[in-house]
Amino acid sequence: MGRMEPKGFEISRRAFLKATAAGVGILSLGHELLDFGTWARGQADSPVVRIPTLCNGCGNRCAIFAYVKNGRLWKIEGNPEANGNLGVICPKGHGYLHELYNPSRLKGPLKRVGDRFEPISWDQAYKEIAQKINLILMENGPQSIFWVNYPQPNHLYALRLMHALGSPHYFTHGSTCYTARNAGWVYTVGELPSNDLSDSRYIMIIGRNPAGGIDLGQMKRIVEAKAKGAKLVVVDPRHSETAILADEWLPIKPGTDLALLLAMIHVMVKEGLYDKRFVMERAVGFEQLEDEMVNYPPEWAERICEIPAKTIFKITREMAQARPQALIHRGYHGAFGAQYLNSFQTARAAAIANSLLGNINRKGGIYFPKTAQLGELQPKHPAPELPKVGKADGTGVPGRYPLGSYGDGIAHAIPELALRGELKAGFVYHHNPLRTNPNPKRVIAGYKKLDLLVVIDTVLSETASIAHYVLPESFYLERDEAVDTKHSGKRAQVSIQQQVVKPMYDTRPGTQIIIELARHLGVGRYFNFDIEEANRLRLKPLGVTLEELKAKGILFVGKEWKEGFDKLQTPSGKVEIYSKTLEQLGFPAIPRWEDPFVSPDPNDPHSFRLLHGKQAIHTHSMTANQPVLMALSHRYDMIRLWMNQERGERLGLKDGDWVQIKSMVGEGRIRVRLTQGIHPSCVWLPSGYGIFSKHLKTAYDIGLSYNDFLPTYFDPTVGHVMASEIIVKVSKA
Amino acid sequence: MARYGMVIDETKCVGCHACRVACHNQNNLDEKEAYNHLEEREYGSFPNYTREFMPVQCQHCDNPPCVKVCPTGASHKRKDGVVLVDKDRCIGCKYCIAACPYNVRIIKKEGYIEKCRFCIEFVEKGGTPACVTTCMTGVRMFGDLDDPNSEISKLIIKHKLKQFKAELNTKPRIYYRKG
Repeated sequence: MGRMEPKGFEISRRAFLKATAAGVGILSLGHELLDFGTWARGQADSPVVRIPTLCNGCGNRCAIFAYVKNGRLWKIEGNPEANGNLGVICPKGHGYLHELYNPSRLKGPLKRVGDRFEPISWDQAYKEIAQKINLILMENGPQSIFWVNYPQPNHLYALRLMHALGSPHYFTHGSTCYTARNAGWVYTVGELPSNDLSDSRYIMIIGRNPAGGIDLGQMKRIVEAKAKGAKLVVVDPRHSETAILADEWLPIKPGTDLALLLAMIHVMVKEGLYDKRFVMERAVGFEQLEDEMVNYPPEWAERICEIPAKTIFKITREMAQARPQALIHRGYHGAFGAQYLNSFQTARAAAIANSLLGNINRKGGIYFPKTAQLGELQPKHPAPELPKVGKADGTGVPGRYPLGSYGDGIAHAIPELALRGELKAGFVYHHNPLRTNPNPKRVIAGYKKLDLLVVIDTVLSETASIAHYVLPESFYLERDEAVDTKHSGKRAQVSIQQQVVKPMYDTRPGTQIIIELARHLGVGRYFNFDIEEANRLRLKPLGVTLEELKAKGILFVGKEWKEGFDKLQTPSGKVEIYSKTLEQLGFPAIPRWEDPFVSPDPNDPHSFRLLHGKQAIHTHSMTANQPVLMALSHRYDMIRLWMNQERGERLGLKDGDWVQIKSMVGEGRIRVRLTQGIHPSCVWLPSGYGIFSKHLKTAYDIGLSYNDFLPTYFDPTVGHVMASEIIVKVSKA
Repeated sequence: MARYGMVIDETKCVGCHACRVACHNQNNLDEKEAYNHLEEREYGSFPNYTREFMPVQCQHCDNPPCVKVCPTGASHKRKDGVVLVDKDRCIGCKYCIAACPYNVRIIKKEGYIEKCRFCIEFVEKGGTPACVTTCMTGVRMFGDLDDPNSEISKLIIKHKLKQFKAELNTKPRIYYRKG
C-alpha cells in the first residue's frame, strides 16, 4: 500500500502562528501544556497544522513535516522529497522532539557565581562577555579565542564571527569523528564521495553501520538494491544491525581492515580483475601499486585479519564480476573515520580498491554528489579579512599535522592548547566536548583553565555545567535557521529549518545569538543582516525564493547527476594511487600495512580492545536524557557491554553480570551481553551513555562512555583521535 | 468494504524501534507505554552467527480470545477487521490481557486497557499506520486482506506467509515473512 497524505488537516501556517501568538499563549499556559494528560484528552479532534522543517536529532538534518495540535507539537513525518531520508524518520527523530517539553531545558541565560549559576539578562550577559573578550583580545591577541561546534546550518556565521575577531580558531568535532576517512579520500580522488547504493549490484560495507548510526537514505537504498538482487557483505567485528541484512557477515579482527583491503587489491592486480582501461586513463601510480601489493596475498591477510583467504578470493572475484556496479562503502566513523593509527591508509586503500573496480562516478559505484551552490553575503555584507595567523593545532602545517583538516581543526587539542595558555576564551555551541572528547579528566582541566567559557546549548550539558556563561538556544522546533545544503545527492537540494512553535522560554535562535554577540564585540559591521536577509542572499543564485522554500521545506535545484569521469580535484587530476604529495611529506605514497597502535594481550584472558558504536535510538551525548528514548534503552536492556560468549565464560561471567572495565586512563562498571556475535578479541560499548552532568536527571550516571577509557592521542598524519586504540582489562565486578 | 491486515517482513527488521516511537507520538502514549515491541533472537555460533528482530503488536485476530473473555463487550471486533477496546465500557478487569497469547495489551493509567488500533482513526482519514510509514527498511505493509489484488494479499500468496502462533486458531490478520 502506497503512502497517503491525511486529508483535511491543513490550516495555514500564518493563521496558526497568529493564533498561538495571541497573548503569548504558550508561556502563560505553560503548566497546562506541560501536563501531557490534560493536553492529550483535549487534543482528540482539534485542527492540525503541518509545517515542513528539518529534524535536529542528529547531523543528518532529515526533512520532516511537524504536526501541531492545540499549540502543542504532536508528531513528525518524513518528507518524501528529501535525498537524505526519502520520507522516513528514525526513532531519534521521533523521540528527540519531546525535548521541547523536557523540564531539564534551559529557560534563560545563566552566569556562574562561585560554584552555582544565577539568572542574568541577555543584554547584561552580552555586555559582560564582550568586556571579558575585549580584555583577553588586548592582552593575548585574537588567536587566543576559539569557537567549537557540532556544525549547524549557521556554522558559516560562526566562522565569520571568528574571522571578524581575527581568530583562525573555528573548530568542528571532526577530529573525533571522520577526519582520517576524509583525508584518505581527498588525497586519492580529491574529495569525499557518496555511494550509489540503489543501483549497485555488490555492496561491501566496512565498519559503517547505517542501521545503528542511522542513515535513512542509505538504508532505503540498500533495501532497494537488495530487492533488485544486489549482494551485501558487511565487514564488522560485531554483528551490527546492518549485518542483519547482509548476505555475508565477515567478523574481522578489529584494526585490521587495511590488511583485508590490501589483499583484495592484491587479488585484483594479480588476477587482472581490475578495470584496465580506467586505471590506464584515469589513475596514476599503478606500477608502484603492483610492486607494493606483491607483499599482501590473501594467505598473509588471513593471518592478520582472520578472514579466511578463500573468502577474500571469493569476495574479490565476485566484486570484479559485478564491476563497475560494485562498491566498497566510503565509510564514516566506524573502522576508519578516526579509529586507528592505520585509518588514513585504510581510507586510501578503500578509495584505491574502488578505483580498481572502475566505479568512480559510475552508476552503482562511488559518485560525486551534486551540492547546491549557495550565494554569498558579500559584496553587500563584506566578509572580514582572513586571519593572519595559522591554527595552533597545526592542521595543514608540514611537520605537524599536514594532512589534518584546517577547516575542522583538531578540536580535541583544545584542552592542551588551553593548558598551555594558547587559548584563553572559547565559545562552545551545540557540542559537548566534556562528554564527547577522550579522557574527560584532561578535557575538564583544559576547559576549566580558560579565562572565559561561553556555552550555547538547550540544556546544562557537562560542558555547560562548567561554563562562565550559558546562553540558552531555542529548541530546533522553535527557531528559523540558515538555509542548508545537507541533502546533496543525485540532484542538488536546498532545505530549511523553520519555526514550528513559539519559544517556550527566554531562549534565542543560535544565528541571532551569533549576530548579537558580534554586535556587542564591536564587529557588528560584518553582521548588518538578519537571518531572513541572509537566507534570501544565499538562495538568490538558485532561482528559488525563501517563500517557496518555506512552503516545501526542501527543493531540488540544479542539474541531475550523470555518470562520467571529469578531471578530479587532485594535483594530477586523476586517481592518485601513488601520491606525490604524500611522498614529499614523508608518508607512504602507496598504502602499506601498518599495525594498529595498540593490541590486546593474547595471553591475558582479561585483555580486550574496546570498540564503540551507535545504537539507533541515541545521538552522541544529546539524547540519553530524553525519557522517551531512555525508556527503550532500559526496556530492551541495551546499556550493556557486548562480549564474546566464550571469552566471557572464561572470566566466569554469565549474561547480564556486572563487570569492571579498566584502561590506562579510566575505569567503570557495566553489565555484559554475552553473545556469539562479536570477535573474541574485543568488547563493544554502545555510545551515547555515561552522562555525568547532574542536571540531566534521566541520563545521569547510567552506562559508560568509551571516552572514559580513551587516552589522549593525535594520529601523526591527520591528528585524529584514534578512538579504538583502547586496551581494557575486564573482570567480574 | 476494506478489511484491514498487515504483512511484517521480519527479514528486513534491523531493530531500530522507529515503529515504537512513531506509534508513541501518533497515539500520544506515555514514556513506558507501547503498542508494539521487538523480540530479538540469536542463531549459530561465532563466526557463523546471525540474529533477527520480530516486531509484535495486536494481531487483530479474526477469532480474538480477548473479545471472547471480555465481560462488558469493551474488546470488540469491527467489520473492517480491526479489534478495538471501547475505553468507556472497559472496567479494567484484565481478562483480555490474560487471554491474549501475544502480550501486546497495556493498562493505561486511567485504568482501561489499550493496544494497537491499526491507527484506525488516522486510516479512516486517508492516513497509513505510523509504524508502517516511518520504517526505513519497509518491514510493515498495511492493506486490504479481502482484496486479492492488494499488495499484501499478493505477498501472502507468493511467499506462503504464515501467522504468528497460527496453531492457536486465533486467526490473526497479520502475516509474517521469516528468514
